[in-house]
Amino acid sequence: MSEMKTQPTPDATASKQTAVRNFDKEKAKKGFIDNIVWVLLLFGVIVFIVLRPQFFNPIANPGLYLNIPMQAAVMGVLTIGVAGTILLGDIDLSVVGIMAVSAAVGVLIFKTYRIPAVLAMLIIIAIGGLFGFINGLLIAKLKTVALIETLAMNTTLAGVVLAITRGRTITVAETSYTALGQGRLFGQLPYLVIILVLVYIVMYVIWRRTPLGRSMYAVGGNANCAKVSGINVDRIRIAAFTISGLLAGLAGVMLSSKMSSINSVFGSTYGMDTIAAAVIGGTSLSGGVGRVSGILGGVLLLNFVQVGLQVFGLDSYYVQMATGLIILLAVLIDSLRIRFQNKA
Amino acid sequence: MAQELEVRNVSKSFGATKALIDVSFKLRKGTIHSLVGRNGAGKSTVVNVIAGVLKQDSGQVVYEGQDISELTLKERQKLGIRLVTQHASIVPDLDVAENISIGLWPRNKRGLVEWKQMHQRAREVMEEFGLHVDSHKLVRELTPVDQRKVNIIRALFGGGKLIILDEPTTSLSAEDRDNLFHFVRKQAENGITFILISHYLEEILRVSDEITVVRDGEVFPGTMTDSGSQDELARLIAGEDVELTMRNPDKVDSKEVVLECENVSAEYLNPTSVKVYKGEIVGFVGFPGSGAREICTMVYGLNKKRGGLVKMHGNPVEIRNSGDALQHKICYLPNDRHAFGIVSIMPVKENIGLSSLKGKLRGAFGLLDIQKEKSIAEQSILDLKIKALSADVAANSLSGGNQQKVVLAKVLTCEPDLLILDEPTIGIDIKSREEIMKLIKNLTALGLSVIYVTNDFDELLRIADRVVVFNRGEIVGNLPNKDLTPEDIIKIRDQKVGQAI
Repeated sequence: MSEMKTQPTPDATASKQTAVRNFDKEKAKKGFIDNIVWVLLLFGVIVFIVLRPQFFNPIANPGLYLNIPMQAAVMGVLTIGVAGTILLGDIDLSVVGIMAVSAAVGVLIFKTYRIPAVLAMLIIIAIGGLFGFINGLLIAKLKTVALIETLAMNTTLAGVVLAITRGRTITVAETSYTALGQGRLFGQLPYLVIILVLVYIVMYVIWRRTPLGRSMYAVGGNANCAKVSGINVDRIRIAAFTISGLLAGLAGVMLSSKMSSINSVFGSTYGMDTIAAAVIGGTSLSGGVGRVSGILGGVLLLNFVQVGLQVFGLDSYYVQMATGLIILLAVLIDSLRIRFQNKA
Repeated sequence: MAQELEVRNVSKSFGATKALIDVSFKLRKGTIHSLVGRNGAGKSTVVNVIAGVLKQDSGQVVYEGQDISELTLKERQKLGIRLVTQHASIVPDLDVAENISIGLWPRNKRGLVEWKQMHQRAREVMEEFGLHVDSHKLVRELTPVDQRKVNIIRALFGGGKLIILDEPTTSLSAEDRDNLFHFVRKQAENGITFILISHYLEEILRVSDEITVVRDGEVFPGTMTDSGSQDELARLIAGEDVELTMRNPDKVDSKEVVLECENVSAEYLNPTSVKVYKGEIVGFVGFPGSGAREICTMVYGLNKKRGGLVKMHGNPVEIRNSGDALQHKICYLPNDRHAFGIVSIMPVKENIGLSSLKGKLRGAFGLLDIQKEKSIAEQSILDLKIKALSADVAANSLSGGNQQKVVLAKVLTCEPDLLILDEPTIGIDIKSREEIMKLIKNLTALGLSVIYVTNDFDELLRIADRVVVFNRGEIVGNLPNKDLTPEDIIKIRDQKVGQAI
């Protein structure tokens, strides 16, 4: 008899089991929605393989699958920086401008003063970080709205690039500078892809494993609560925008090195793509929600579709249309995700 | 008396959760009918089904003899059923008349709003219902109690005959509550029917004609107003005996000062001095803007200090933000859980660790110690009896009382010497409330000092060792909690106003 009492009633056990099972089901559903970008990417790859096996077969044509991350590298580095500001519930529209200005200034210094290429590259990254810091300062301390502040910054910097280049192309042919963008490790793995991977690993650690990253989620989720919980909200904002600027500088190094040149429309196609990739990857524009792995998936998916459609010989305006439709799809998924969250 | 509304055998499920199980009860015209129960018991589901926000799975809702089960929210509104929640219904930046007339603006031939007529009508309506404020005033500038009256008048003006009041008195002072219920009672006498949802048992017993207890999706209708006691009602709500937390004030006679404020001043706070001793619970009482809350947020670094000196353990400290306060082992549990307490989309464990990112959770290389975060959260879930499926679920999947426990777990994880609790039991069920009060009581035995800001005098007198009364930025009473009654506190607070100046 005494043993009986310590056992929970069968009824209670059963209901608890149902609860746990439902919980697992919900968890699986959530996992699916969180990783939907990778599901879509896989789906896209399979569709393309079926339609054009001779080109998309990974065994027959492995180069393609290295080419996509190569194409995606610059945009991917920009995107993860922008995503950090979206995570705060803000946005950074100035990365293309920052990228172009820092690269232009750095390359001019490199060519004029004949400094080592590595030093020039560090200068470019530092200039990017400085502009990002200014963004952060204006947004956090002077409470300007990020959307407009960064838009103004971008427009200003685009003008500066025009003034510096005067519409002409600045070339950097020195192999010490272009090796990074055009070379491959052991003649196989492009340096740009290595940089992309390293950046995402570092950002994963920052987002998930540091007080800064956790604070970014908290500020995006509820800034007032973050403030009361002992988080210096202004400092977190400044940090996120500075990181975005630093990465824009790094992207500037990568792109100028890859193209051996800088011109007035340097990287201008990346502007909206970065936000699209972040949203496709599951970053919520209302802040507080986002995962580094999802964002990488978003970057690869967008690039895969763009490259893939070009392989099909579609005109570039159709490719742009397709990009637009993918963004629409991403926003629909985002709204489904929010509805799912509210239901839970 | 005529029967206004009948809920017949209504059931409702959300997924696998049965929110309502075969619920039936009746409302009589011109009565105040209270629904009480713990958070998550199903009160909100009941009223949402009545108002048409949610659709029941089975059963009927009958209103004035008509089956309205299939009608939409809008159609039910036309019949006079109104849901008045405190947050969603008023627009603070519009004036009183505009708020009362929302959606019912009088228009001229060109389709433009007739402003004069609107104000005229609003004034008439307010006169009729006994509210005396300027119709041109912005609602935001009204006192909290008048704001709520505007909210109710709006529902009445739109033809409301059955008004559902969801927690109408949250964060109102005792007098304002009386004032509001006086107002509600008057409307009931004129034939308006009210459904009242509240956690304040004392007020429910006082104002209700009938009380229906909701527990785990089932109802226990009754008419126990006259005979019932708070204890009895509490027992019905919890479904088990609830022990009301009581403190023995004689036990504390510490001489060790933890917090000392010397002539500190801030917005709404004139130069004031006060001490808090080790292991004691000090109740801070006062209207909003009286300084009771302001001195707390100032000590915690959320308000700017204008002058004076704050000492912790006898040493002067400079606290400019909440991070500084945490460093000096001062923690603060904010009064508005949704606005300041919790990041609702974050997992429970990350919420609990949020104030310890640079403290306990700092691991190797300055990285977060995620294992520790999880184990601390799991321990807190056990210690505080937080009902959550795991530490990984989002905080917004928990009920209000459990969310509040998560916030409490967050501040306790910082191991404070001084804990400031700002209305810690607002809007949470009675069982959670007693658990929280008991926990705090036990922690003071280990040397924690507590400042307890509340306007619930009944609760205050059960737990405080000392009561500090604020009025107009000054301390007007600082006395041990011995033989004090709520009336004494009100007297001290109000009497001194006349004496001052």
